[in-house]
Amino acid sequence: MSDSEDEMIAKLSDYLDDALPQAERAEIARKIESDAGWKAAHAELAETRRALSGLHKAHAPGSFTQDVTSTIHKRSAGRFFARRTLGDRVPFGALVVLAVLGLAVVAYLMWASQTGSLKVDHQAGSAAPGSSVQPTTPP
Amino acid sequence: MSELERSLLRRLRDRDERAFRELLEGHRDRVYNITFRMLGNRAEAEDVAQEVFITVFKTIDTFREESKFSTWLYRVTVNHCKNRIKYLARRHDRDRDELDETNAGGEGVNGSIGGPRPAAPDRALEGAQLEKLLQDAIARLDDDHRVVVVLRDVEDLSIEEICEITGLPDGTVKSRLHRARLVLRKKLQSHV
Repeated sequence: MSDSEDEMIAKLSDYLDDALPQAERAEIARKIESDAGWKAAHAELAETRRALSGLHKAHAPGSFTQDVTSTIHKRSAGRFFARRTLGDRVPFGALVVLAVLGLAVVAYLMWASQTGSLKVDHQAGSAAPGSSVQPTTPP
Repeated sequence: MSELERSLLRRLRDRDERAFRELLEGHRDRVYNITFRMLGNRAEAEDVAQEVFITVFKTIDTFREESKFSTWLYRVTVNHCKNRIKYLARRHDRDRDELDETNAGGEGVNGSIGGPRPAAPDRALEGAQLEKLLQDAIARLDDDHRVVVVLRDVEDLSIEEICEITGLPDGTVKSRLHRARLVLRKKLQSHV
C-alpha cells in the first residue's frame, strides 16, 4: 500500500468520524466530489462502516445472570448469592408490620374478653358474686 | 455520573446482591456483544463475559469514579478479551505443534475464530453471509486493531471514550482505526 493511499484512507476515516477541522473537512468533501479515486475509496470505507455498525447485536443467553451469580456463589464458598427460603432478601419491613398487627389483635382480644387481663374491671370490689370475699372475723 | 449510578455503586460496594443483579441486567448484552465480536465464538464470549462481571463484583472497590462506570466496565471487558485472545493463540500454537509432531503432513488445525470461509463468495455480501464474512475478517485482525474497530464501528463509542478505555492517545487510536478499516475494506473488496 502506498503512503498516499494510506494517507487518503486516514483522511477519509477521520472524515467519516467527523474528526476533522471545518476547513479540512470541506477540502476532503471537494476531493470526494472531484476525484474518482477518493470517491471510490470513500464509498467503500463508508460501506465497510455501515456493514460493521449493522452487525446484529448479540444477546447474552437467558441463563447468563443465573450463571454468573452461581459462579460467584461457588467461588465465595457460599458467602454470596445463597438461595434463601424467602427469596433474595428477607422482607424485614413486612415482617415488622405483621408482628405489630398480630400484637394489636392479641391486645384487642385480651381487652375485649370478659376474663382478659387487660380489661379494666370497673366493678371490682362492688357486686361481683364470685369475687366477693367474706371478710374473716377475728376470733 | 448520575445520582442513580452513584447509588448503584454504593450498593455494589456494600456487596448488595440485588444491585449486582441490576448491573448484570443493565449491561450484560453490551458486554456480551463486545466479547462476541472480539472473540468470534459464542462459548468463549459467554465465558469471558461472565469473568468480566465476576471481576467487577470482586474489584468494584478499585473503581475510583475518575471515569464513567461504563468506561471502567468496558476496560475490564477489553482486558479480559485480550487475555483470552492471547491464551487461545498460545493454545492454538501448542495444539498445532502437537499435531505436527504426531501427524506430519496432515491437515492443519482450523484456528480461525470465525470458522470456515463462506462457500459462495458471490453471495457473501448478503445477510448472514456478510455477517459471517465480517466476523471472520474482524477475527483476523490483530487484537490491538480489533479492539478499536469493535468499540468504534460496532459499539459506536466515541474516540475519546476509546482513548479512556484503552489508555491510548488519540492519534494511536485513530491510526489503528484507519489501519483496521483499511484491512476490512480490502477483505470485503476481495469478496465482491
